[in-house]
Amino acid sequence: MKKINLGTIVLYILLAVGGLIMIFPFIWMLISSMKTWAECGSMPPTWWPKDPTLENYVYAFKTAPFLKYFRNSLIVTVLCTGITMFNTILCAFTFSRLRFPGRDIIFSIMVSLMMIPYEMLIITNYTTIVKMGLYDTLAALIIPFTSSIFYTYILRNFFLSIPDSLYYSARIDGASNWQYLWNVMVPIAKPSLVTIGLLNALTCWNSFMWSILVVGSVNNRTLPFGLFAFTDQAGIRFERLMAGSSIVVIPVIILFLFCRKQIVTGVSKGGLKG
Amino acid sequence: MKVTIKDLTKRFASRDKTGETVTAVDTLSAEFESGKLIALLGPSGCGKSTMLNMLSGILPVTSGKIYFDDKDVTELSPDKREVGLVFQNYALYPHMTVLENICFPLKIKKVRKEERIAKAVEIAKMVHIEDYLKRLPKELSGGQQQRVAIARALVKQPKLLLLDEPLSNLDAKLRIEMREEIRRIQRESGVTTVFVTHDQEEATSISDYILLMKLGVMQQFSATRDIYNNPANLFVADFIGNPTINQIHGVYVNGGIKPDGSDEIIPCSIKANENDRVVLAVRPESVLFEGGQTTGTVNDMYSSGKDWLVNFNIGDTELRGYCDADYNVQEGSVIKVGFRDKGQFLFNEETGERY
Ligand SMILES: Nc1ncnc2c1ncn2[C@@H]1O[C@H](COP(=O)(O)OP(=O)(O)O)[C@@H](O)[C@H]1O
Ligand SMILES: [Mg+2]
Repeated sequence: MKKINLGTIVLYILLAVGGLIMIFPFIWMLISSMKTWAECGSMPPTWWPKDPTLENYVYAFKTAPFLKYFRNSLIVTVLCTGITMFNTILCAFTFSRLRFPGRDIIFSIMVSLMMIPYEMLIITNYTTIVKMGLYDTLAALIIPFTSSIFYTYILRNFFLSIPDSLYYSARIDGASNWQYLWNVMVPIAKPSLVTIGLLNALTCWNSFMWSILVVGSVNNRTLPFGLFAFTDQAGIRFERLMAGSSIVVIPVIILFLFCRKQIVTGVSKGGLKG
Repeated sequence: MKVTIKDLTKRFASRDKTGETVTAVDTLSAEFESGKLIALLGPSGCGKSTMLNMLSGILPVTSGKIYFDDKDVTELSPDKREVGLVFQNYALYPHMTVLENICFPLKIKKVRKEERIAKAVEIAKMVHIEDYLKRLPKELSGGQQQRVAIARALVKQPKLLLLDEPLSNLDAKLRIEMREEIRRIQRESGVTTVFVTHDQEEATSISDYILLMKLGVMQQFSATRDIYNNPANLFVADFIGNPTINQIHGVYVNGGIKPDGSDEIIPCSIKANENDRVVLAVRPESVLFEGGQTTGTVNDMYSSGKDWLVNFNIGDTELRGYCDADYNVQEGSVIKVGFRDKGQFLFNEETGERY
């Protein structure tokens, strides 16, 4: 048997404690969501609910259309991420592979745009959306977020690291630029793309401020906004709040469990290395 | 397919900040016969890859014309030229298996799946990699990767096959094996092939014709045998042959050469102008150790495999010649040597031109 030394034991204990601290709020949220109002507020707090109940969830679904919120979030996230990825890929290819006058200058200007803080763009974006007549529509949540200079920058650097000889080989093999991009570059860049896609999806899913600004009606709310509104309705009933929060968080956790392998390899394979 | 190159020139903006242009290929004209294997030979940086890349269409030409048969392809893009190219680093698609790599050109051409697999397998058999079709490139050895690259280049039945130093990443033994393989594959497929190398031995052992370049300028283009027996100038004579050709610098006087650092005159049947500075170049196998009349001093006698070589001096010049194994000399022995007419050339020292 392999000898286990003291150092390893200490390390594992530390890691376990760290893990527990990280996960504790989630567990507490889930536990609290199954308690009654009285038990939730009792002092000292109980660990396990005396009689676990799903009533709070029933209440949450009755009071607020979480399923609708969920559907909206899903539509916005999928479309935002899909379109952003498509634009990012094309843009990164253009600025890494194609040659045209002014290419590097245009790219520098684009990169310097990253310096403008997001908050400064909110007002202009808002007026644009309103003028386009898109106020209070899902499109208003999607259109401003369909490209990303930052991801383009990362992906372009990755594309630049792919040897020229592959491009020339493909060209000689009869491939057009378009075919080369989708048959060779994109598959090679898959780990980077997965990472970028997940980061983007996460940002979309959690985006809050913008949706409060451009969406009014219940029908067009996304989950974070919906949850925010739900806090008003639930008042100080923490067990109900916790149920609402669980509804919002659980899909993301499930997604992570399914994609864990890809996320980890994507990040560790240096997908984000510049 | 016959390839004709006319006054081909390629200039690059210099990589450093001097702003001068680099002429990588300089008004080069040649005609490659159909079905032959042509070696593009020259020291590193002489413009071989540039030439090849212009033939494949990767690099636009600065001036000049390229014809495939009688068709002007100078402005044609690489995907329309019907050439196959094998890069020095093979450039296999890392995410595709061997089979997918070989199939790729056919897939782009929208050949039906069964048909392209059948063709790929056929080519794979020809280059002896049919057992590795399911592997990824990174799971193959250098020699196997190279075969895959050749298979991928051949599968679309190109009219012209271009190979850029395909053997330089292999170890010595494999290199010799693979060049015989390439020769065999070329014969079997009958495709006109241009093979780039900086190794004169590789070039002479594989090719029908050699095009020798120096600093972008063509030095000689002739049948492989001729380039050894009939070099156009001193650079060619020096570049081709191992051990390298002996060079005796001196002055042409009285129908012979007076070497630097010696008063003896080496008789020479080749004519030059009296008092010209010349270089007498003699292949090591053309040195005669019997019946000669020029005095030499032995430095060393050693074996290179089955042959014996004598290293000796005439005046200040060090020379080498093949001798019999039972030839008996030591360091310091004074010997008489002569030179055979065949394998003996006279060049102008300044211009390198042959008399
Ligand atoms: N893209 C380029 N830009 C500037 N100079 C280049 C470029 N490619 C090649 N050269 C120059 O052209 C010359 C010939 O290069 P190359 O054809 O690669 O030589 P070889 O393949 O014979 O070693 C070299 O001096 C090289 O520095
Ligand atoms: Mg080269």
